[in-house]
Order: sequence, then structure tokens, then C-alpha cells
Amino acid sequence: MAPGVQLLTLTSSLAEIPRVADAVEAFCAPLEPGPRDLHALQLVLEEVVTNVITHGYGGRLGHAFTLELRIEGRRVTAVLSDDAPAFDPLARAEVDVHAPLAERGIGGLGVHLVKKLVDSAAYERRDGSNVLTLSRTFAPPAP
Amino acid sequence: MEITASNQNDITVLALQGRLDGIASPQLEQRLDALLAGGARKVVFDCTALTYVSSAGLRVFLSGAKKLKSAGGRTAFAALTPAVHEVFELSGFHEVLAVHPSAADATASLAGP
Repeated sequence: MAPGVQLLTLTSSLAEIPRVADAVEAFCAPLEPGPRDLHALQLVLEEVVTNVITHGYGGRLGHAFTLELRIEGRRVTAVLSDDAPAFDPLARAEVDVHAPLAERGIGGLGVHLVKKLVDSAAYERRDGSNVLTLSRTFAPPAP
Repeated sequence: MEITASNQNDITVLALQGRLDGIASPQLEQRLDALLAGGARKVVFDCTALTYVSSAGLRVFLSGAKKLKSAGGRTAFAALTPAVHEVFELSGFHEVLAVHPSAADATASLAGP
């Protein structure tokens, strides 16, 4: 596989979260990312991978899905593909992040953060798969 | 995730170290529930060494703050790293949770009745 591309095959277990975080860190290391960029990308991928496992596959173990990572310049793109029932996580209603503490629900916060932390997000149902494509352009490396 | 607890009078300071992700969050939730059951009412989260938090971790912070508040207690957060601070801001958490620059400030804010 060409440098700048990595394909991870994941199983439907939350134990994959640290593995994804480690893979993202290693994959992005050549970009010398600042802590905010790395944190943002790890968070985004934890949220969407968790969504696939808990919502898409209903928390059932034993399903496999893929995460492809690509680097073009300082832009990192992640493509998550799974064969769970059609589900567009981006279609979720916006959360009110200004509600007072007592009224604060936590549902939808993950997707809210995903939308805020990527430059582009696109969902597509393609050939029986959910395909979610997310990109973030990293800041220039510290001088 | 490592959680180290210390006490200053009636204030419990939880120093969080490492990553508060979907795997680690239940550990913090159980710790908070145990503290609450044990009578703790004032809790400082020292985030100096907290390098990562996802929505799973934020959920535990929020539910912990709510539980303590409804028990008549209070929480304060201290020393967020820039990455964690950004996530707090994007979530609106800085509007509903008390965030302080240092653990000493956070502890002082909870001192007294």
C-alpha cells in the first residue's frame, strides 16, 4: 500500500478505541501534529467508531468494518465503512450546548463535536454500506 | 487512565492522568459514585495530566456534576490542557461547570460552607 494510506480492519468491540487512537497517532506522526489536531482527530474517530459499534451493530460483537486513513498535504481524511443498517450519524438534530446544567442531556454531543472538529463530513449509503468520510486539515507544524 | 484521590478538609481532589475515553469512562463514573455514596460532596477534578477526553468522558463529568449538585455538593475543574479546553468550549461545558486555572484555585473555590 502506498505511503500516506492505511487501512484498518476493526471489529465491533469498544476495545478497538485505544487501538484506533494509537493507529491515528502513528499514522499522523510524519505530520508532527500539534496536540489539538491529534486530539481532535482521535476524538472524531472514537465518536464515529463508537456509533457504528453501539448503534449500527447494536453493541453485538463479531462484526467487521474498516477505517481508511489518508494524508494529502496536511489534510487527513478518514473513511469509515460498515455494513450495518443504513444510518446517517450526521443527520442527528443539533444539540443545545447553551442549556443550563439541569436541562443538559448528553445525547448527540459526540456527533456535535465531530461536526465542529472536522472541515468536511459526508455520509453516503453505497452498495449496502454506510460510508462516512471525514477530513481535517492540520495546522502547520510548530516552527 | 489513572485516578489519584487526595483530601483537603472536606474536599476530594481527583487527579486524572491519561486518556478518558469510552473504555476508561466507566472507571471514573464508578469512582464518583463510590465517593458520593461515601459522603463526599465537594470534588475537584485536577485535569493537569488529562491528555484526552471524548464525549464518553464528558458524559461522566456532566453526570457527576449533576449528581453532586443534587446531593447538595459542588464540583470544580482545574488546569485543562488546550485540547481538553477546546472540547469543553465546543460542548458549552465552560458555561455550566466551574473551570479554574489551577488545582489550588479550584480547591479554594470549594472551601467553606
